[in-house]
Amino acid sequence: MTSIQRLWHRNSPQVFLGELLEKRWMEPIIPFGLTIAVFLFFAVSIPGYSGIGSLRQLSLSFAEQAMVATAMAVTVLSGGIDLSVGSVFAMSNFLALYCYLVLKLPLPLVVVAVVGFGAVMGAINGALIAYGKTRPFLTTLVTLIVLRALYNKLTAANTDELASVASDSAVWDFLGAGSILGVPINMAALLLVAFTAHFFLTRARPGVHIMAVGSSRKAARHAGVDVKLSLMSAYVISGALVAVAGIFYAARQNSAGTDTGLGWEVNALAAVVLGGISLAGGRGTIARAMMGAAIIFMLVSGLVRMGVSGNVTTAMIGTILLIAVGFNVKWVKNKGKVQQKVYVVPSWVDFEPPPSIARDSGTPFAENDRLRDAEPIALGQIEGPEDMILDRRDNLYTVTRNGSIVRFAAPDYAVREEFARIGGRPLGMAFDRDENLIVCVAGMGVYGVKPDRTVFKVTDRTNRTRMRMKDDSRLYLADDLDIAPDGKIYFSEATTRYELADWALDGFEGRGNGRLICHDPKTGVTRTILKNLTFPNGVCVSHDGNSVLWASTWLCRVYRYWIATEKAGTCELLIDNLPGYCDNINRASDGKYWLALVGLRSPVYDLAMAKPGFRTRMIKQIPPDEWLCPGINYGCVVKFDDRGVVSESLWDPGGKSHASITSAREHKGYLYIGGLENNRIGRIRLPDADPTWQGWDSYWKAAH
Amino acid sequence: MNWHTKWFRQTLYGTVVLSASLIALTTPPAALAAEPREDLRAAFDKTLKGKKVAWAPVWLGVLESEWTRNMKTHFDDYGIQFTVRDANFKSDVQLQAVSELINEKPDVLIVQNPNVTLLARELKRAMDAGIYVIQVNMASNTLTDAYVGVDARDMGRRLAKNIINECGGGKGSGQVAILEGEATAAYSLDMKRGAMEVFNTDKSMKVVSSQPANWDANKAGEITATVLQQNPDLCGVLSVWGPQAAGAAQAIKAAGKAGKTKIWVASDGQPADCDLLEQGLFYRNLSYRADTQGEAIVNAVLTLLQNAEKPGAKRFAYYTTPYWVNSKADRAYCFVVPKSGTK
Repeated sequence: MTSIQRLWHRNSPQVFLGELLEKRWMEPIIPFGLTIAVFLFFAVSIPGYSGIGSLRQLSLSFAEQAMVATAMAVTVLSGGIDLSVGSVFAMSNFLALYCYLVLKLPLPLVVVAVVGFGAVMGAINGALIAYGKTRPFLTTLVTLIVLRALYNKLTAANTDELASVASDSAVWDFLGAGSILGVPINMAALLLVAFTAHFFLTRARPGVHIMAVGSSRKAARHAGVDVKLSLMSAYVISGALVAVAGIFYAARQNSAGTDTGLGWEVNALAAVVLGGISLAGGRGTIARAMMGAAIIFMLVSGLVRMGVSGNVTTAMIGTILLIAVGFNVKWVKNKGKVQQKVYVVPSWVDFEPPPSIARDSGTPFAENDRLRDAEPIALGQIEGPEDMILDRRDNLYTVTRNGSIVRFAAPDYAVREEFARIGGRPLGMAFDRDENLIVCVAGMGVYGVKPDRTVFKVTDRTNRTRMRMKDDSRLYLADDLDIAPDGKIYFSEATTRYELADWALDGFEGRGNGRLICHDPKTGVTRTILKNLTFPNGVCVSHDGNSVLWASTWLCRVYRYWIATEKAGTCELLIDNLPGYCDNINRASDGKYWLALVGLRSPVYDLAMAKPGFRTRMIKQIPPDEWLCPGINYGCVVKFDDRGVVSESLWDPGGKSHASITSAREHKGYLYIGGLENNRIGRIRLPDADPTWQGWDSYWKAAH
Repeated sequence: MNWHTKWFRQTLYGTVVLSASLIALTTPPAALAAEPREDLRAAFDKTLKGKKVAWAPVWLGVLESEWTRNMKTHFDDYGIQFTVRDANFKSDVQLQAVSELINEKPDVLIVQNPNVTLLARELKRAMDAGIYVIQVNMASNTLTDAYVGVDARDMGRRLAKNIINECGGGKGSGQVAILEGEATAAYSLDMKRGAMEVFNTDKSMKVVSSQPANWDANKAGEITATVLQQNPDLCGVLSVWGPQAAGAAQAIKAAGKAGKTKIWVASDGQPADCDLLEQGLFYRNLSYRADTQGEAIVNAVLTLLQNAEKPGAKRFAYYTTPYWVNSKADRAYCFVVPKSGTK
């Protein structure tokens, strides 16, 4: 039973769900699902519904309504509303019929005149709203009423002419009933309009400005957007689009009945809301308006086709829309919360009791005072030296919280100097053969700084994991790196599911979210070589250059990945069951390795790691400052050799000056100590160490 | 049981002989099958059974429901499949419904046109596609295989003549208002034309207003109230349809003109129209009965299906005769909606 539970927690489908919810395209999932469901429902219940002829017929009637919904969407996205669409549509329909079939004006002129009419109506609305500062709702409502009255007057006055209109023009009939490659002409026009509108609102400057104004008028103004012009342009576009729809409608129906466009503003608005476009503006897409319009349209036409009586149809549609809109509004509003609730999925990790760290235990982990008197460097001048490195001229480089590489000049390290600014959160560092400083930057990728201080990008993406919902091609949290003799850069990405600020949540999960990645500067190719690793942290190329050592923080293990010899490509466990959480690994002068333990394990937390349900409840039910966390406020440095045998450890009891230790680096007889949250770098003398040994020589001297 | 007993064999034999003779007696001889009346029915059934008739009204109001009820009763009886598509007063929905029906290829398509142009193109397409098309009461600019309904123009003339008798020639102010329905619906358009034709011949008559009320009582009420304000001496109101005229009647009553301004209605014979007349709100109804009209539609279907002509070849017409409803005595010219739908 436990093994099944363990298996379940280690492969929880909730991870997939959480990453699914994170997708941006999940926001319109309700209208999308409903569109499919409604279509399938009618396809099953009405014979021949999904046939070519039927679909053609449906798209013929759908096109104009969808165009009007698009127009409405543009104004809603701008933060307003255009209620006049119904009567602008009716007027355009009338004008097209009257100008072409009664006055017999040439068609191009008619099209220009009618679209111009729509644009002018839009401009009147827009000018009043943008420059006159009237309210969109009332302004367009008045336009709606005025134009409707005008329409009724004009159609009544021209009854006889309108009653006898008949077209003998092939072009007009083509506009009304023609098709392009089997697609009805008005549907083709709709596709063109929708794609153009989408492109306009997301890629073109004036369109993006409309979206920006809709999102936040104030912010848009501060960003230098001409708010008034953008607002007005939204209404002009809306009017013109509606006029285009009116022309197609006129050509198809040849009729100016009093019900033309009557209530279409309501349908268009319902489509927009059903599609999940925020009435507050700025949030939504044209595609969503299309989905909303499609749902309403299919419901109306499908229910009529099923022979449902008109009143029942109206009532049913009203009810369905009410439920769908209510549900959708809730969904859009609460999707973030739902995602937060399901995203963190603790796994099941089993621990054995670790070796003792008691002073008198006699183990290599026995606590001592060797770091207590570490000499502080740069005390109070730096924040968060996660890693530090020294160049051939003994200058000390370190990373800081604010995205810079800071240099302290040898020999006294008194002068602080900003060496380079990369941004992000720089973490692990290494020098390459050309003495470029290669740095892992959380949130950005891997970057390099040349000796002349120019910053260059090494890589910021790797190959995307197949069959994974989340796009993990971008580097989230590059942590530590090292460089093999052939120049290939091996680096760890601690987790692909959390940002640096949320690394603790990854700890609560204890899942294999990280990976080991290799970048080859010769080819420029970056490839993931090991995935599903549990918080891979420190990375170090072995002294012989045949393997890469890497540490898994939450599993308290060190692994060896072979890059040369006949074992190349295989990974093996080197050290298991360490008493603390591992961080960076660096070479020691005696052929061994320094490993920083950022914190110590505790029996309580070890137990919690085998209780995923407990951790889930903890995260959901109590505030973060009361969470049971891994103890990372007290660590040490240990030394191990190529066989994985730990020989000694260095402690600062109580973590007074070096609480969580994330890196230990040896240079010319000294060991330098850094910490992710520390305010200094510590340095102790290593009496037995080779006083001439330095990192760069160890890596590159033999090769030179 | 013993199969070899004599008794059993005799009984078995006797039963077989008896059954055989019974069958021979009850089955008519082949020579008697050629009964002409039976053949007629057989041919009727053969032609009609399984045929598909589709019906697309503007909406399913009282009038349309009565037509539908009649059609359904008869079609069920004949074994004809009957489909109804209710567009509920939305012309775009109706156009779409008709287009879809054409794609579904029924044998007969019956439509009520919301206006003269909307379905014109589709009706032609239907006939080209081999579907008989019948138009009911509200015709299109496209003529089809059959028209069933009133002669709206003639009704307009008759109403106008009757109004002139009451209001013209010095008997009344001569001022009359016309309440149209949907202005471009054939029924309203033609009736107005017919009425205007007659009014224009009489110098004593003056049409002070002719506006579309769009089949809506509220709108008709508003129009009438306005017309009454401008023309306090208004003598008559000609409404092309009963339900909308109810709004006009209320407006007249509210203006205190009851009895002075009279309402003439072209009625489809729905019970409410007779009720309103009996209450004195309508002055005269020129009424046709929707139930008999429904039967006329059925007859048109029967004609077309039993006729060898191709769709589009002929132009049959089935005009409905209207009757004057003056008082309670003429109640028979309003139809009665049966309480139960059984045959």
